[in-house]
Amino acid sequence: MATDLRISNISKIYPGCIANDNVSLQFKSGKIYALLGENGAGKSTLVKILSGVVSPDNGEVFLNEKNLKLSSPLDAKKNKIGMVFQHFNLFETLSVFENLSIDATEDNESLRVRVNEILKKYNFSIDLDVPVLNLSAGQKQKVEIIRCLLRSPKVLIMDEPTSVLTEQETEELFISLKKFCDEGILIIYITHKLKEVLSLCDEVAVMRKGKVVSVSQTQNERVETLANKMVGQKLAKIKKKINISKNKDEIFKVKHLNFYSDDPFETNLVNLNFSVKKGECLGIAGISGNGQNELFQILSGEIITPDTSIIFRNKEIAKLNPKQRREYLMAFSPEDRISQAAVPELKIYENVALNNFKSSNFFEKGLVNEKKIKEHSKKILSDFSVNTDNVELKSQFLSGGNLQKLILGRELITAPELLICYNPTWGLDVGAINYIHETLIKINDQEKSTILISTDTEELLKLSDRIAVIYKGKLSKIMPSEEVTPEKLGVLMGGGSID
Amino acid sequence: MSLDISFIGILIGSIMASSVPLILAASGELITERSGVLNLGVEGMMIIGAISGFALMVITDNLFIAIVGSMLSGVIISLIFGFLTQSLLTNHVATGLALTIFGIGLSAMLGKNFVGIPGKEFPILFSSLKESIPFFGPILFGHSIVLYFAFALPFLTNYFLKKTKLGLIVRAVGDSPVSASNQGINVILVRYCCILYGGAMCGLAGAYLSLIYTPQWIENMTAGRGWIALALVVFATWSPIKVLIGALIFGGITILQLHMQAIGFRIPVQFLSALPYLMTIIVLVVISRDSRKIKLNTPTSLGRIFYKEK
Repeated sequence: MATDLRISNISKIYPGCIANDNVSLQFKSGKIYALLGENGAGKSTLVKILSGVVSPDNGEVFLNEKNLKLSSPLDAKKNKIGMVFQHFNLFETLSVFENLSIDATEDNESLRVRVNEILKKYNFSIDLDVPVLNLSAGQKQKVEIIRCLLRSPKVLIMDEPTSVLTEQETEELFISLKKFCDEGILIIYITHKLKEVLSLCDEVAVMRKGKVVSVSQTQNERVETLANKMVGQKLAKIKKKINISKNKDEIFKVKHLNFYSDDPFETNLVNLNFSVKKGECLGIAGISGNGQNELFQILSGEIITPDTSIIFRNKEIAKLNPKQRREYLMAFSPEDRISQAAVPELKIYENVALNNFKSSNFFEKGLVNEKKIKEHSKKILSDFSVNTDNVELKSQFLSGGNLQKLILGRELITAPELLICYNPTWGLDVGAINYIHETLIKINDQEKSTILISTDTEELLKLSDRIAVIYKGKLSKIMPSEEVTPEKLGVLMGGGSID
Repeated sequence: MSLDISFIGILIGSIMASSVPLILAASGELITERSGVLNLGVEGMMIIGAISGFALMVITDNLFIAIVGSMLSGVIISLIFGFLTQSLLTNHVATGLALTIFGIGLSAMLGKNFVGIPGKEFPILFSSLKESIPFFGPILFGHSIVLYFAFALPFLTNYFLKKTKLGLIVRAVGDSPVSASNQGINVILVRYCCILYGGAMCGLAGAYLSLIYTPQWIENMTAGRGWIALALVVFATWSPIKVLIGALIFGGITILQLHMQAIGFRIPVQFLSALPYLMTIIVLVVISRDSRKIKLNTPTSLGRIFYKEK
């Protein structure tokens, strides 16, 4: 039976922001719909309304012309609306099967039979009896999807599903989604990634500042047209930069980097050797979980490995901790903005003060010089066009893009000679990504060096002068980026060889 | 003093009796904490249970009413905690501490007229078997029904948490209240139930002290057992069976060190008095070192305030 979902004049106002402003949309089964928008455009609020988590101030939802009362998640479930949230709604300490059985109405035996049928049908391989915290992000998402499928949904809503997935997992997800669509499930796909919209979806609705600004067929759209609709202005194209670093001195040199861990969740690193020249960007590609975390932590000094030699500006720094390394003018931007780079509960200026120890006189005789820190923070906010000038704001209220700008600003204002960043544009929207990329290019233009560890091949090809691939803790040959193609990277990232 | 086999049997029997309030209170608190609520009011709820049980016994002369009444009083006082933390979203730690202070004060006031009144003998089961079987008699028989219940409780709790749907829901709420709520589980209701259950068990633990263990009312008679029960839950890493082990070790060493003090061992008394605390912690830390298991048993949302998005 065909499904027809209609949203009519939905409004939701939060104190200080209109999340949804009179949104009306119509969806029909047999197609995959994209809901596209920057962070904060109101997509998430809309899907929260559809899934009953949040009730709208105004407006109605119709499923097959029946007016739905969605006042709790239970109502959405009863009406066969399934939802996979961006932040998984799983119980980490419970087993996969327990997670699935918690809202099941049948007994455990028949549930297990049904789950196994789904696993087989869609080719998912998940051990049902391990705790969810042992699963990869992709597997967790599959558990969420299975949970929805168990209720034979008419509508399946996916909220930014690929933000935590590797490229291969993303491909698998797309195959599954297309299958669901063929089976008559109406799919609404929320994202800010333009390429995904074009490769997966049939129709796209673009949201900006709480309003739907356009609805169109994806076949009539290109990346640029969608980006412009989403951002609301023409995006400047970033110039591919000219390699100026060929004959410069090496500023950073790593030799015999080995790392061995007993923890099965960590990756061992085997004899990594590389160097970075002045003004150069060294890209390190790889599918997440191949040792990037460990590499970043060793480079930043969070983990000290024996017998490793790290020479920075002609000094041996392998035994120094992160604070000492910063004093030698290294800077770091970790992958996890919320828990590693910033303290979400602290105010902006407090976060700025966190890693400026000696060079700045933020602290005098053990006391905090609040005035100085605030001035300094204001400068960062305006220099790096963060979307607020209120340094008293708690960092958790910044969007991902703004938080990343703040972190980069904090790191760069001390004029470091080497910046090491790990997935700096993870989960950001186009506008913010563009800005971060421009900033990173500017660093190189100023003869400072960067190491860019990233899982985003496009980003690597755009920004790096030389690229190496990390696979299972081993580093490939380092290649000049003009010799590298996305295909080559793909082969190396999958463990193949290209010679 | 002779160390013959029947003496050891009696000793073990008395160790078991002394650990009952710890097992009851800790098992109750364990369920509360597994739902993500940290109630530091255990001591307060126990002492309220102790005085209301004793007072009801004196007034009605009925032990059954006294026991049930003590549990109800635990429920009522924990309802205050539940209302404050779940409905008014106050901080768990501060509210729990207030509950303990309130409970101790209220019990002293209520208990004023009950000081010095002798208690009533609580019926014990299988008293004939206790005398007739050497060694095992005093261990297995001749206890109150509450003791048998207390020793079954950790196993029942374990079964409840691991095997039943409701137990699964409690664990789910403690793991991630937001996810649970998004799954349509009424988080506040589940947490209320767990808080009230914890209150009932603490009330019973208090009544065990004032009606069975030392049948009389003395001001502040729980003497910190509530805090020990709280610590047991944490050091037992939220595993009911380990709570039982911990309570027995604590009770056992408390009694053994009293004997050692009486015999006059050449060990400083202060050290002996500290021994139960020390040993319980050491043993529980040693048996709970599997960090993976700890992670699985620890209620992730413990002590965090949950409110529903509207």
